[in-house]
Amino acid sequence: MTPPVDFQLLRAQQPRFQGLDPGHRACQGCGQALAARLTLEAAGPDILLANATGCLEVFTTAWPESAWRVPYLHSVFANAAAVAAGMEAALKAQGKDVKVIALAGDGGTFDIGFQALSGMLERGHDVLFVCYDNEAYMNTGVQRSGSTPHAAATTTSPAGVARMGKRHLKKDILAIIAAHHIPYGATASVAYPADLRKKVRRALQVDGPSFLQVHSPCPLGWGHGSELSIEVARLAVQTGLFPLIELERGALIGAMPIRQIHPVTAYLKLQSRFRHLFADDPRAREELAHLQALADHNIETYGLHAESPDGLDSEGADTVRRGGLRSA
Amino acid sequence: MPIMTPGAVAYPGTSLTFKTGGWRTARPVHRWVPAPCHAGCPAGEDPCGYVGLVAEGDIKGAWERLVAINPLPAVTGRVCDHPCEGSCHRGAYDSPIAIHNVERWLGDEAARAAWAYPLPLLPAEAKTVAVVGAGPAGLSCAYHLRRLGIRAMVIDRLPLAGGTLRTALPSYRLPREVLDREVERLMATVNFLPHTSLGRDVTLEELTREYAAVFLAPGRQQPRAWDVDGRVPRDLHAALPLLEAWVAFGKVPEIHSAVIVGGGNSAIDMARVLARTGAKVHLVTHDVRPAPGVPRDLAMKAAPRDIRQAEEEGVTVHVEHAIHHLILRGEKVVGVELVRVKKLARDEGHYEIVPFEGTETVLHVDQVIPAVGQTVAPEGMESLLAARGFFAVDGTGRVPGHDALFAGGDARAGAWGTVSGAVGDGRRAALAIEAHLSGKAQEPARDAEPITFSGLNLNYFEHAARAEEIVLPPDRRLALEEIAAGLSGPEVALEAVRCLSCGTCMACDNCWTVCPDQAVLKMHAPAGMRYLTDYDYCKGCGLCAHECPVGFIAMVDETS
Repeated sequence: MTPPVDFQLLRAQQPRFQGLDPGHRACQGCGQALAARLTLEAAGPDILLANATGCLEVFTTAWPESAWRVPYLHSVFANAAAVAAGMEAALKAQGKDVKVIALAGDGGTFDIGFQALSGMLERGHDVLFVCYDNEAYMNTGVQRSGSTPHAAATTTSPAGVARMGKRHLKKDILAIIAAHHIPYGATASVAYPADLRKKVRRALQVDGPSFLQVHSPCPLGWGHGSELSIEVARLAVQTGLFPLIELERGALIGAMPIRQIHPVTAYLKLQSRFRHLFADDPRAREELAHLQALADHNIETYGLHAESPDGLDSEGADTVRRGGLRSA
Repeated sequence: MPIMTPGAVAYPGTSLTFKTGGWRTARPVHRWVPAPCHAGCPAGEDPCGYVGLVAEGDIKGAWERLVAINPLPAVTGRVCDHPCEGSCHRGAYDSPIAIHNVERWLGDEAARAAWAYPLPLLPAEAKTVAVVGAGPAGLSCAYHLRRLGIRAMVIDRLPLAGGTLRTALPSYRLPREVLDREVERLMATVNFLPHTSLGRDVTLEELTREYAAVFLAPGRQQPRAWDVDGRVPRDLHAALPLLEAWVAFGKVPEIHSAVIVGGGNSAIDMARVLARTGAKVHLVTHDVRPAPGVPRDLAMKAAPRDIRQAEEEGVTVHVEHAIHHLILRGEKVVGVELVRVKKLARDEGHYEIVPFEGTETVLHVDQVIPAVGQTVAPEGMESLLAARGFFAVDGTGRVPGHDALFAGGDARAGAWGTVSGAVGDGRRAALAIEAHLSGKAQEPARDAEPITFSGLNLNYFEHAARAEEIVLPPDRRLALEEIAAGLSGPEVALEAVRCLSCGTCMACDNCWTVCPDQAVLKMHAPAGMRYLTDYDYCKGCGLCAHECPVGFIAMVDETS
């Protein structure tokens, strides 16, 4: 018999900052919960949060409980960036050097929250805006958003006789952010936790607005097993569909090279939102070719193909080591 | 403080009162799965375990873990044909871990640091067991008995312990001082009666009467009879006595050219010894070269590395050939007629060696040296040997019909024929003897299936080149000097880090990193349990299990 473990004590002794406690109501295998946890680990305790309405807000704050251990303010759907900007201005007025982070989903970033975000960036507030990109309005029942990839089926872009899932393309939000000439903007993925944490630290170091788009699989909305969230996120990077890049003042300063480029079908076939693309249908074959072309375009545009193996490329960046030391 | 309305505020961390563990339909459990190297080791070592300790920097701990199974690592690290490396999953990823060199270095390091075996005190009422034969099987059995708190009395016909390791292994593979060092340390823990032959100085009846149990490991000392169509050259030498003469005196009769018959370790060693004296040496065997996928029955018994080195040293190997005919002048060999053969499967595991007409060739040689295996020298135990001259034993080494009589090593039927196989036999017999003497039922051997290659998550590893040892070039291989240099400490440390740790937690923190619910908690303990799952909050998503690099976490259904 092993002696009983005092879990409360052990939890208090974990050697990392825990900003998001368990007991939250995220679904099994939630990519967003993982992304938020990793973000807070890197941002660590001296921060304030403003969170737009969305899954993250709903599953962490079932009143009278809160899963957060840092000051947290729930904004409405549209104005997380505006609220964060106000918090930052107030802290500055008080002479306090505390970072403010705005959290929002892709709906609260690409669509509904966009004008507040653009204004915050334009005014130059010292705020990190983190977008947890799960590529649809998951909280309200998987409606398509400006971030939903081309040809993905959602409840408002179903696959059927008329068309093969979403007709339009995924909005290139980072290009729009780049046009604001902010000091730092980047994409990250839950499949590369060390890379994600490194980018959070980098973003918090800069003076002025910064932006992070984190690819966060949604097992329910994307239609894959809860154990596959990281596998799916990793393949999104390794196919070139979700490039991991960094921008400074709008210019590309870094991209994670892909050592072994996988065909997009490796990513798509794990998710039922793309199931219709594997039907025996000429339109399906055309859409598959279209998605492969989009990935090829990303690889070419950002120069993602690794010329030689590198410790920080798509195969090296997630390497684990005995005893728990990851690179970065 | 401003007063807030109750609906507008919640206190930090209060979600902990909501136990999401109730959502779960499957729970992640940490469970050790045997690594393929463990399953592949005839001695029963768990290389994954001690290589992991080397990677953690616990060198003494690694050696202690190693000698808990095999007391002779400096020896086996040099002479074993390391089937562990053939089964190593890293081989399917890039190239296998150089396990034999890690083992060898640990053995040498222990000798340098003069570490003592971790042994319990011997209780005053300890029983004594007789071990016949001081070769690897006998030594292993005696050592493991001592570990289990039983005194061992080792009996051997020779003045020094070591058996075949001492009499027939050339020092270019196993330097004397390495053997002496390791055997001496072992002999210090057991009692030894040298110059004592079973049947001549002591009888089996006396041993069974005087000792609590007897382990017989006499090895195979009697060369098998050999002829070609009933004809034998007058000046025939068998390989084993020649090898023994070389090892003892450094001399063999002058031979200009020879053909050696056989594909085992003795044949290869004999060929290499003769090549060192300047003879032109051919080796003829029915078998094919050992390679992955070649059945054990069809392949040469010698290790691939030794065959390769023999060829580098000038030995010509004729696989799938047989001597069809001896060309004699008087009763002296002047040549042999070779013929191509194939071992063809007949019914139920039997093979027939079929020669092919029209493929005959002639070799001009002045000696034919059979190395076609040995049988047990039966003196003193004639009544126990089964048909074909070996001991028939059960899985624990017990001789059927005798409660306290065990046998193992090369003398048992179906023996591995290797040092590590003999070490394993000795350990299994010691465990069975201990169970017998203490009256416990022995727990059935746990032979869980080793983890499959697809059970690992290779995304989390990086390719790295295998550390290769320096080997003397063929033209500089002298008679006695060891030809393989082994690896240095830093090289071994790097090599150990390459281990994929199949089925064994390596504390990489990945489960702790990927859990969206902070349900995986990291322990402070440096060893043993490294992570705990807090089932109050674990929702059973399976991320930790799917992403575990080493396959240490399984999802167990909770719905039934």
